[in-house]
Amino acid sequence: MKISVNWLKEYIPVNHTVEEMANKISLTGIESGPVKLGEELTNLVVGHITSVVPHPDSDHLKVCQVDVGESEDIQIVCGAPNVAVGQYVIVALHGAQLPGGVKIKRGKLRGQESNGMICGLDEVGVPTQYMPKEFENGIYVFDEPQTPGDAVYDLLGLKDQMIDIDITPNRADTLGMRGAAWEIGATYNEKPTFTKPELAADKVKDMSDVTVDVAEKKLVPDYLLRELKDVTVGKSPLWMQRRLWNQNIRPVNSIIDAANYVMIEYGQPIQTFDLDKLAAQNLTVKFANDGDKLKLADGEKDLTHNDLVIVAGDQILGLAGVQNSIEATVDENTKNVLVEAGVFDGASVRKTAQRHDLRGDASNRFEKGVDNGIVDEALTRVAQLIDQTTTVKEISNVITGNFTKAEPTIIKGSASHINRLMGLDLATDEIVAILDRLGFNVDVNGDALTVTIPTRRWDMEIEADLVEEVNRIYGYENLPNTLPAGMETRGGYDPKRELANKLRDILLGEGMDEVINFSLLSKQEVEDFNIDNSEFTKLLHPMTEDHEYLRNSLIPGLVRNVAYNQARKNDDLKIFEHARVFQRVTGQDRPSEITYLSGAISGNVVTDSWNTTAQPVDFYYVKGIVEELLAFTNADAEFTFVATSEYENMHPGQTAKILANGQVIGLIGKLHPNYQTAHNVKDTFVFELNVDMLFDLNAKSVKAQTAPKYPSISRDLAILVAKNIENGQIVADIFANGGKYLKDVNIFDVYEGKNIKPNHKSLGYHLEFQNPNDTLTDDEVEKAFSLVKDSLAQKFNVEIR
Amino acid sequence: MSLNDTLKNLRANGIDEAKRAERLQELNDLRVNLLGKKGPITKALRGMKDVPAEERPEIGTLANNVKNDIQAAIEEKMTELNQKLVAKKLEEETIDVTLPATKQTQGTKHILNQTIEDIEQFFIGLGYEVASGYEVEEDHYNFERLNIPKDHPARDMQDTFYLSDELLMRTQTSAQEGRDMEAHDFSKGPLKMISPGVVYRRDDDDATHSHQFHQIEGLVVDKNISMADLKGTLDALCRHVFGADREIRFRPSYFPFTEPSVEVDVSCFNCGGEGCRICKYTGWIEVLGAGLTHPNVLTMSGIDPNEYSAMAFGLGPERFAMLKYGINDIRDFYLNDVRFLEQFKGVN
Repeated sequence: MKISVNWLKEYIPVNHTVEEMANKISLTGIESGPVKLGEELTNLVVGHITSVVPHPDSDHLKVCQVDVGESEDIQIVCGAPNVAVGQYVIVALHGAQLPGGVKIKRGKLRGQESNGMICGLDEVGVPTQYMPKEFENGIYVFDEPQTPGDAVYDLLGLKDQMIDIDITPNRADTLGMRGAAWEIGATYNEKPTFTKPELAADKVKDMSDVTVDVAEKKLVPDYLLRELKDVTVGKSPLWMQRRLWNQNIRPVNSIIDAANYVMIEYGQPIQTFDLDKLAAQNLTVKFANDGDKLKLADGEKDLTHNDLVIVAGDQILGLAGVQNSIEATVDENTKNVLVEAGVFDGASVRKTAQRHDLRGDASNRFEKGVDNGIVDEALTRVAQLIDQTTTVKEISNVITGNFTKAEPTIIKGSASHINRLMGLDLATDEIVAILDRLGFNVDVNGDALTVTIPTRRWDMEIEADLVEEVNRIYGYENLPNTLPAGMETRGGYDPKRELANKLRDILLGEGMDEVINFSLLSKQEVEDFNIDNSEFTKLLHPMTEDHEYLRNSLIPGLVRNVAYNQARKNDDLKIFEHARVFQRVTGQDRPSEITYLSGAISGNVVTDSWNTTAQPVDFYYVKGIVEELLAFTNADAEFTFVATSEYENMHPGQTAKILANGQVIGLIGKLHPNYQTAHNVKDTFVFELNVDMLFDLNAKSVKAQTAPKYPSISRDLAILVAKNIENGQIVADIFANGGKYLKDVNIFDVYEGKNIKPNHKSLGYHLEFQNPNDTLTDDEVEKAFSLVKDSLAQKFNVEIR
Repeated sequence: MSLNDTLKNLRANGIDEAKRAERLQELNDLRVNLLGKKGPITKALRGMKDVPAEERPEIGTLANNVKNDIQAAIEEKMTELNQKLVAKKLEEETIDVTLPATKQTQGTKHILNQTIEDIEQFFIGLGYEVASGYEVEEDHYNFERLNIPKDHPARDMQDTFYLSDELLMRTQTSAQEGRDMEAHDFSKGPLKMISPGVVYRRDDDDATHSHQFHQIEGLVVDKNISMADLKGTLDALCRHVFGADREIRFRPSYFPFTEPSVEVDVSCFNCGGEGCRICKYTGWIEVLGAGLTHPNVLTMSGIDPNEYSAMAFGLGPERFAMLKYGINDIRDFYLNDVRFLEQFKGVN
């Protein structure tokens, strides 16, 4: 809401610029910004049209003589359809500056001299949708005579200054000028003064044409009406109109304008009805029936049994607190008026307004709450305004559908506790003085404070609220900077995060960039890598099909990244992600959250350069990274890689499960060529490791051993073996037979093809023997080596070469 | 010619030959030829028997001197030739140091994680524990326990991805507060924790919105926690992240789970408070929300608000990183273009 400074001056003295005020209000209460309308406007004056003749060379232009307060009238050519002699209008003189950088200059229009422009409201800065409808397609005409030559700015509010407050939902008390005056007044230590509205006693009659019944008394704690009889509906006065259009409310007529004006003034939404258009005299506030219709100017809304409505008999007059139908709209022919001031339950209004897409000034206020202490006063104020600006013969007493006496809130607290929570040491008097600025009454009894909160601050409930009020008005800038002074605590990560950090560092060290992907995937993506065959977890109301399911693998995200990068010619990629996947057991709602560390490598791992030759990634490169990672897990486990062809989107001949002590903890391999094609990625290898499982294995205790002092002896072994025998089998057998001094087995050659028997391969191994406690002899080694060879020949039918 | 003269001649010739040598091999040959057992000096000394006995010592001395002098000349020349060889080798081995390196790449930590870890390290130093919590959370912890009952308008402000009536993708890391307060043993001292992690909102992705983003929640529960403690802590944090010259200010705000509630602004690190495009000419940039934990929240976690008080704050690593590095589009964090990622090598 925008707080007009001119309006505010009716309640409190204003001695500061709008910029200063907005800044100060932001720091003590509500986020605010200064608004200065029409700063650029110049040379806009009242003109009185003394003559209008048709333009000799135009069908629609007219040549006007206009009195602008100078010794002679000036001639202006005007094209507006509604221009006429005798009108008081806005004249932009030669040199005038208009919004949007428009500058008015003296000139000729089709040969006729024109010394300015007669303006419409939109041309001087009032938005079309907020100006009176009658002037939408023409120039603005003052209702009353004005002094030619006077500046128009104040008359039309064109240069009004305002404070635009952006409230948090708890501060709807400032959605009325009076509440805002309290807030701004407290900031500047000024108490606002208000005049209580009084009605002319002779007009007030105890009468009522209508009866009213509130069926939902809990949701409608207050429902008050007044009837106004023999009303002449006209235009509201200019001072009211300009305040309304500067509040982004279109002036309509003197009745509707008064209702809107009081909403801005008090923050209490007001509705008006044409009493003679009511289909019945008995008003009811109740829930609609399913299928009821709300008639609006631009169509109908289908109501539900959750919508609170005002009905006259069967006629739906409006959605309570949201919007009236067009059934009983007050217009220029209206004679008798019914004015409503009610309080409607915020949640109910919010849901109804949302359901029908009808959020507006009224629903916005009811949603956040209104002051139920001023409902009757606001109703009286509307009647008073209508009486002042129109002719009214009779005004009824308040007709009560429901009324709940508003009681002030009492909050008990203590000066010491308030001080302790602020970290300050204010004197009790100072605290009391601050609360008094807000209009809160305080009883002091030693340290104890009993604070009476007026109904306009319905957000105040507990002592913590007092802490906030005192602290903000005292000024947060005056708070010292301290740190919590309690017992020392030990900070740090939990051990699982420590492990993850370490593993991430390894991958960074391997030259892999870290990525972060979305946890929500498409259906296709969760189907692609459902490695553990767990149940999918789906959102109830997803936004898009791309983000519908909780991810069960990090691989789809990594593949997306590879595709995105390779589409941009970032062909060589080494990326990893550390994040959670979600796996769900059938029958359970809640998925478990499991931390994974996954990577993808695509393209070359060594690039072509002046001194290097390109080397594309292969299985063994990635396996090297994974093995180094596993070495750093400090896991008390034996890790093995077991070939698998069971994953649909992995290459069946280049994929392995990773096992720790026989239990699957991850996978490694190449993406299936079909999958790669479908996702537009080049040859890509991925791995994924279950960090939670690695963490559970993270228990190895290392006992130091001195580096060996005695020399080692080595033997090379070349064998010819059937192609389907895996290296892992051979190595295991070598170790099984190599004796206790066999320290290491390394494969240095794998060859198949030319000069090798079909379906066979040649393998070369380097065996290293070492006795940590003594020098080994050739005999000892030769004995062990023979056993190795014999076993291989026997078990795998190898040919020793 | 006397033996004496012969030796002197041999010396002169030997030294001369050494000086003229151009290759090491020549010098080696010279040494063998002149000084070897079959060389002319040895040969000449065989004539010693003809020399009178009283002159023999003199000749002997001369012969040694001749040998030494020739040896010295050869060695000097050898050193010279060796140095030449080394110089030549060095010359041949000279490379173009401006040629590009053989790549030795370290990966780059994601800038969001760098930002998060920088903040984590700050708080770990102040004795805070890091606890990350669940991403799938119960309505109970995400809302109810934070003083946001079912019909509360604040639920509209954070449109939620539900999995069932009671389960949702957490909308805020504050969801961890209830769990941490329940689990903490206050007889062992205060609860000081930060909770970083991913949160989710039903938002359309655009330059400033993402349906997934990160938050870091902070919570301290102890006797006598005050607004001044909150201000001091966040002041130190903002100086750590945005620079030692920064200041912060509190503005009143509203969150259902804190009272008082504040928004925290940091003085603009671009213009130093003068006013510029980044701070929208205010000199201040909003960076986080904070407050004293609402007594209802403490009570629901079994903590007596008359005995204990608590401060809480929540900040967005995306926002911090965007401000600090001038990133204009939040989607950049999740596209993972390696050219974007790798520019943040070593910034934290």
